[in-house]
Amino acid sequence: MLIRRSNLLIPLGDAERVDNAWRHNADAVTLDLEQVADAKKAEAREGLKEAIGAAARGAAEVFVRVSERDLTDDLTAAVWPGLRGIVLPRVESAADVAEAAEIVTRLEGERGLASGSLQFIVLLETALGVWHIRSILAASPRVEQAALDEPDLAASLGIVPDREIDPFVYARGRLTVECTAAKVGAIGMVYPLSLEKPGTDPVFDASHIHTMATKARNSGMKGVICPHASWVNPVNAAFTPTPELVEWNRRVRAAFAQGVAKGTAAVPLDGKMIDVPVDEWAIVVLAMAEACAARDAEKAAALKGR
Amino acid sequence: MTVRSVRRSGLTMPIVTPRFVDNAWRRGCDFIVLDLEDSVPQHLKAHARTLVKDAIPNVSKGGAEAFVRINHDTMEEDVEAVVWPGLKRIKYPKTEHAHEVRRLDELITRYEKERGIAPGTVEIDASIETALGVANVYEIASASPRIREFGATTGGYDLSRDLGIEMFVDFDQFEYPRGESELAARALGLRVRSAPFIANTTGSVSDGNRALRVAEAARKCGIRLGGGGLNPAVVESHNVGFVPTQEEIDDARHVLESYATLEARGEAWAESEGRVIDRYEAERARELIDWAAACDARNREKAEAVSRHSRAGGNPDANPHPREGGNPATSDSTGSPPARG
Repeated sequence: MLIRRSNLLIPLGDAERVDNAWRHNADAVTLDLEQVADAKKAEAREGLKEAIGAAARGAAEVFVRVSERDLTDDLTAAVWPGLRGIVLPRVESAADVAEAAEIVTRLEGERGLASGSLQFIVLLETALGVWHIRSILAASPRVEQAALDEPDLAASLGIVPDREIDPFVYARGRLTVECTAAKVGAIGMVYPLSLEKPGTDPVFDASHIHTMATKARNSGMKGVICPHASWVNPVNAAFTPTPELVEWNRRVRAAFAQGVAKGTAAVPLDGKMIDVPVDEWAIVVLAMAEACAARDAEKAAALKGR
Repeated sequence: MTVRSVRRSGLTMPIVTPRFVDNAWRRGCDFIVLDLEDSVPQHLKAHARTLVKDAIPNVSKGGAEAFVRINHDTMEEDVEAVVWPGLKRIKYPKTEHAHEVRRLDELITRYEKERGIAPGTVEIDASIETALGVANVYEIASASPRIREFGATTGGYDLSRDLGIEMFVDFDQFEYPRGESELAARALGLRVRSAPFIANTTGSVSDGNRALRVAEAARKCGIRLGGGGLNPAVVESHNVGFVPTQEEIDDARHVLESYATLEARGEAWAESEGRVIDRYEAERARELIDWAAACDARNREKAEAVSRHSRAGGNPDANPHPREGGNPATSDSTGSPPARG
C-alpha cells in the first residue's frame, strides 16, 4: 500500500529551502525545476544530483518536477540514483507521457537505474489534459499518481478564480473516478486551497489545513502536493486513520464476523448497516493505519540517524 | 391497470433471513429486492439460490414487484436460480463493462424461453458501484434493451470503498458519478434514477424524516424513481415523498387550463401571474397529473392485494399498515411516521 500523504514542493534555486527540505516530515519531496527562472536554470540543474540526496535524508521519496519546455535537458539533469520519479507538468495526451517515458528509459539505462523504476506524477493543467485523462493514465505503467494543477488550469481556461465558487467540481470528479478506475492515485487539495502556489507564505493555520485535507481524502484524493512546509504535518495527520476510526473499524470487523457466523452478512451497528463492502473497507482502513505507522517509524528512524 | 410503472419505495433484504422475507409483503413497498449478494454470507450462497423461486410470489403478495440482486462473480448460476415467473428485474451489482450486461441479457433470454416467461419480461438494473463502472456508463446503459431505468442515487457503500472515501460526510462526494450516470440515461432516453444530495452524517438507514426530504427533493427535480432502502422506517417516506402535493396538482391543472385557453385562441405563449405558460409548461403539468394518478392507482392496487391476502392469510394479526411494521433490517427502527414537510 503506497503511503504518500504529503508531497512537499521545494523550489530549486532557493538553496536554503533545498537544504532544509528533509526536515519537514514530508512523505515525499518534489524539487521543482519548472518554476526556476531561465537565468538560474543551469545552476539548478547542476546542483540537482546532490539536492536529491539531501532531500532524501529524512526518508522522503524524492521527485523532480521538470518543465515541458525543456523536457530532455531537465530529465537529463534529474535522473540519478535516489530519485523516485518525475512530476510531469502540462500533460495533454498519451504522447506527452510516452515521450517522457522514452527519455527516462534511456537515462535509466545510462545511469544504472533499474529499467522502469522511475514513477510519473502527471499534472493536468488544460482542458485537453482533463479530457484525455483516460488515455494519459494508460499511456505508461510509470504513471502512479495524477493531479490537477488548478492555478494553471484556471489560467488556461481563462478563469479568474472566485474563492467562493469552485469551478472544478467536474474536473476533480473526473480525476478521482478515472484515476480509481485506472488504479492510479488521485492527489490534490480541495477548493480553494487547491489554488495555493508553491513557495507562498504559510497563511493558513494547521487546523484549517487538516480540515481541508480530510475533505480532500473524502473526495477520493490519496495525498496532497504541499506548496508550503506548514502543510505537511496537518496533511499527514488527515491522511492517517485516527485512533477512533481504527477502533470503529475493529468493531465493524467483529460485528460482521459475528453476523456471518449467525447466518447474515447485513448487521446493524450503532444505527449503521454493516455488510460486505463495509467490512472490506474496514480491512483497508486497518491496513492503512498500519502502513502509515510503518512509514512514520521509517522516517523517525532516518531522522534519528542525523 | 396502470401502464406507467410506479417504483417509489423498496426494501433490500437478505433472502436467507426468513422473518424479513415472510414479512416483506406487509411493508407497503412498491418493490422488494431479494438479495443474494452482499447481505448473504459466502457459505450460504448455494442455499440462498434455492429460496428464490418461492420467495418471489411470497414477497409479491402485497402488490410489490419482486426484484433479485444477484452476485457479480456468479452470474451464470445465479441467473439460472432466479428467472422464474413473477420476477420483474435482476439487479446486477458492480457493473463495469457492457459485455457483462450482454451476457446477462443472453442468460435471461434463455431462461425466459425455457420457463414460459414472455420474452423481455425481466428487466436489468445495472448497478454502477465502482469507478470503472462510472467511466463506462454510456456503454453499459446502452448494452441491453432490458435496461429501462438507469442512474445512481447518492453514491453507496461499494463506490465509497472503491474510491477510498469515508461515507456520511457533510458534502456531496458523488456529483460526478451521479452526473455521468444521469447524462447517459437521458441521452439514451431511459428513465432516470437520481436524488439531490442531502447529507446523512449519522449513517442511519432508518431515518424516516430524512428519507422524506430526499424523496421530496428528488420529486421536485422531476425524478420519478426511488432507490429503495434497507429499513422499513423509510418505506412510507418514499411512498409519500414522491407523490405530488394537492397544491402541485391544482397548480398543474391551472396550467393545463390556461394552455387550453391559449390554444383555443391560436396562441402559443402567454405570461400569467408572472410565469410563462407554453407547450413545455403544459407538458410538465400533464406529466405531473399523470404521475399523481399513477401513484394513486398503485396505492389502490397494493391496498387491494394486501387486504386480499390478509383475509386469506393464516395470520389474523397481520397488520397491513407499513408504518407499524416491525423492523427486520436493523435494531434501531424507532423512526416515527414522517410528517409531510
